[in-house]
Amino acid sequence: MIDSSLDNFNTEPMEKPASPARQTWKMFSSNQSAVAGLILLAIVLIFSLVGPLVYQVAPTEMVWMPLTPPLESEYLLGTDYLGRDILAGLINGGRITIAIGASAALLTIVIGVTIGALAGYYGGWVDNLLMRVTEFFQVLPNLLLAMVVVMLFSATLTNIAIAIGIVSWTSTARLTRAEFLRLRSMDYVRAERSIGAKNRRIIWAVILPNAAPPLIVSAALSIGTAILFEAGLAFLGLSDPNNMSWGRMIGDNRPYILDSWWGVTFPGIAIFLTVLAISLVGDGLNDALNPKLRKR
Amino acid sequence: MVKSLSKRIGNAVILLLAVLVLNFTLIHIAPGDPVEVLAGEMGGATPELLAELRADFGLDQPFHVQLFTYLGNVLQGNLGYSFYYDKPVTELIFDRIGATLLLVITALLFALFVGTALGIASAQKRNSLLSNVVTLLSLAGFSAPVFWIGIMLILLLSVALPIFPIAGMATADEPEGNFAYILDVVWHLVLPALTLASIYLAFYSRLSRASMLEVLESDYIRTARAKGLSRFLVVYKHALRNAVLPVVTFAGLQFAQVISGAVLVETVFAWPGLGTLAFESILRRDSPTLLGILFFSAVLVLVVNIVVDIAYRIIDPRISAK
Amino acid sequence: MQAPLLSVRDLEVSFQIGGSDVPVVRDLSFDVEHGETLGIVGESGCGKSMTALAIMGLVPNPPGRISKGSILLEGIDITTASEKDLQALRGNDMSMVFQEPMTSLNPVFTVGEQIAETARAHFGLSRAEARNKAIEILRLVGIPSPEKRVDDYPHQLSGGMRQRVMIAISLVCEPKLLIADEPTTALDVTVQAQIFDLFRELQEKTKTAIILITHDIGVVAEMADRVMVMYAGRNIEKGPAIDFIRAPQHPYTRGLISCIPTLQADPPDEPDALFEIPGVVPSAVELAKPGCAFAPRCPNVIDRCKVEFPPSTQIENNRSVSCWLAQEETV
Ligand SMILES: Nc1ncnc2c1ncn2[C@@H]1O[C@H](COP(=O)(O)OP(=O)(O)O)[C@@H](O)[C@H]1O
Ligand code: SF4
Ligand SMILES: [Mg+2]
Repeated sequence: MIDSSLDNFNTEPMEKPASPARQTWKMFSSNQSAVAGLILLAIVLIFSLVGPLVYQVAPTEMVWMPLTPPLESEYLLGTDYLGRDILAGLINGGRITIAIGASAALLTIVIGVTIGALAGYYGGWVDNLLMRVTEFFQVLPNLLLAMVVVMLFSATLTNIAIAIGIVSWTSTARLTRAEFLRLRSMDYVRAERSIGAKNRRIIWAVILPNAAPPLIVSAALSIGTAILFEAGLAFLGLSDPNNMSWGRMIGDNRPYILDSWWGVTFPGIAIFLTVLAISLVGDGLNDALNPKLRKR
Repeated sequence: MVKSLSKRIGNAVILLLAVLVLNFTLIHIAPGDPVEVLAGEMGGATPELLAELRADFGLDQPFHVQLFTYLGNVLQGNLGYSFYYDKPVTELIFDRIGATLLLVITALLFALFVGTALGIASAQKRNSLLSNVVTLLSLAGFSAPVFWIGIMLILLLSVALPIFPIAGMATADEPEGNFAYILDVVWHLVLPALTLASIYLAFYSRLSRASMLEVLESDYIRTARAKGLSRFLVVYKHALRNAVLPVVTFAGLQFAQVISGAVLVETVFAWPGLGTLAFESILRRDSPTLLGILFFSAVLVLVVNIVVDIAYRIIDPRISAK
Repeated sequence: MQAPLLSVRDLEVSFQIGGSDVPVVRDLSFDVEHGETLGIVGESGCGKSMTALAIMGLVPNPPGRISKGSILLEGIDITTASEKDLQALRGNDMSMVFQEPMTSLNPVFTVGEQIAETARAHFGLSRAEARNKAIEILRLVGIPSPEKRVDDYPHQLSGGMRQRVMIAISLVCEPKLLIADEPTTALDVTVQAQIFDLFRELQEKTKTAIILITHDIGVVAEMADRVMVMYAGRNIEKGPAIDFIRAPQHPYTRGLISCIPTLQADPPDEPDALFEIPGVVPSAVELAKPGCAFAPRCPNVIDRCKVEFPPSTQIENNRSVSCWLAQEETV
């Protein structure tokens, strides 16, 4: 609020001052690759959320001759080694992949922001302790740790999402901590403190909204990371046996790549496009929310 | 230098103890009897064995006694026993660690050198074709799953154009003549190392490009030019050394992630390292092995971090002073 | 009479600012004779550093470039010389000391190396010879126990010591021209005096010509043989330092001199009643407007000033002023 009011002085008197959200959208929509990413993301979402209603083929059932190449049957993208429809797998797997990605990213952000905020705001021994914990998680290869957790606690959708969240929060925590360190000595924070505001209020209602822009970007990007992570776990055989997912399709079909390139290629492209769309949107958000920090 | 190094080593030891406590806690809070977790479902452990294990771990003892027994075991080099392989976990790990180190270090050095070279070349001409290619590559590197990149490379360069071997670390019936063997391993190494490097290649080129652009604007570069040094000396002596500092920092920070990547890449290429071992131990529900790998990876990461720290101090004299 | 060492004619340096070419230095002409000290004074942002960088062939490009004029150093035109020829000149025939000693040295090399490499580049010395040369020059610039300091890194030295190292770098090849761009602005007052003493002493030994850039008239009075005053990218007054202090001609210069109590014939009774030139330094864009750039702040402004820039007028021995007032007096 404080900084945007300054900009408003420069706008023509006849024009209504644009709201921050509108300004962000204006910047975002003038960025070609960000818009392309947004459109791509919309297509992916429609494909995997509306697709199952339109294209009702069970992804886990044998529907045709195994290893039928694309365009040689009514199953356009062909079938895998068990005669399962690849297209149905893509459509249904998308839902699972995106759901796990989004919930794992949410958990990542909640843990990361909480730890980073407390460390950055309180400093001292709290900071010391929390940064040690962060360092600890950075030393462990996150995929291996997630593998251990999922294997020991069984591969359900919830456990997979939780495992990804638990191992992925460190960079968010560091980012949040840096923002809090920067903001905690700002005048308006001092002012709040001088009128006796509680720490809890200062952290969540005063500093956090001001730290939001980079955190929003980080949240957007961590969905992409979580999707890649889920795919990796599924590829290694750690996926919910009752649900199809893109990573699982690649893992299942990998032993048959000599007979069917399509079984691994299409789900990979799906993951690639989805994560690419999210990265483009994230980069666009970054430029739109932090215009001054724009990269060269 | 020595002081801060010993501090780092102390820190590393504490972190490793914490990893062990985590391992131990996970075994105990996981659903099911800890002994069964330790034996592994497919380990084919007999009831007698289970009973023996139970006694070994003193499962009738209070939690903290069990923990100390466990820590004591690890300190004696006993990370547990793999019933599937019928071997101590440490032995399994030592059999495989060489292959992983070969893959990871090759890939990381490749990514570091080629990535930095690309980044620096593209920093010289800001909007050139090269710098656009680097930006595109980095988007691809960030967005495609590494294991899928590996599979695509196999389809392209091993199946469609049979240039490289599909899997493994050496051809089985290769006569073990020394040089021929090394060449064979290198040949097998190309695709996995390239795959693993692909993620970081783009990252390092972007990082070194940004860092180089920043350094080239700094006052001391202007000084170097004002001395009449050649463009080569200005860029490759004065700018480069400063520009690689963030690259070195990230190489250390990311090493844990590189190991994660290696798990996937090894699995794709059946590279006989810790990654495939981890994958196999999931298939066989061989928890002691997987936990042992987790612990050993942490050891590796900490060792690499200390090495990187020393390298950084050599490159940047300001740090040692602090 | 010998040809001047440096001869700048009609120099214009422009920057791409928001899509258009904005000149930040204009119509600049001056000479520097062998062994003399030329002071360039002016407020911050008036184009002093850009002038210096233009002479060194180091105008940051993009966004800047030399858009007009010539700069002859012993007959070689800097504005058209190849990068290779410039490399041979820089650090060797001409060298520069920058304003910021804290950031102008490369943090990852020893000061000895940073001095020695200059000698190696121009004189083709061996490593050992260059190192000895570095020690010798460190001694010359007054660094105590140079045999030890030669292996220090910049962060181990104070600001004043670092500036001495910068001076050592700039002098190691015994250049004919040394440009010092506000060399003491970042330093303590006591250190400032030491650095200027050093400059004087070194000039006596080496007979190097110096362009001393500063916004401090006092320094000019002490150090310079001749002075050039810049305002908004142009030269507005030029002449021998003594005349300039005693009888400034341009209204801007008069204002500047009256700001320095010790230089005034009749200092005001209250020391803090300093004369401040009212108004603000014009921005580069305003500079492009016609008329005298000083007009908005000038106490003597007449109508003509606002539409036409006053050409440089010769008054008495080697003095020139760009002001309509002076023009009318001489006519
Ligand atoms: N990189 C740049 N881009 C645009 N304008 C610049 C740049 N560098 C300097 N300028 C402009 O050039 C003018 C002269 O700058 P400078 O020579 O550094 O002034 P001085 O050294 O006298 O303080 C200033 O008005 C400044 O705004
Ligand atoms: S030309 Fe006019 S405005 Fe400029 S300094 Fe002279 S009197 Fe003042
Ligand atoms: Mg300047």
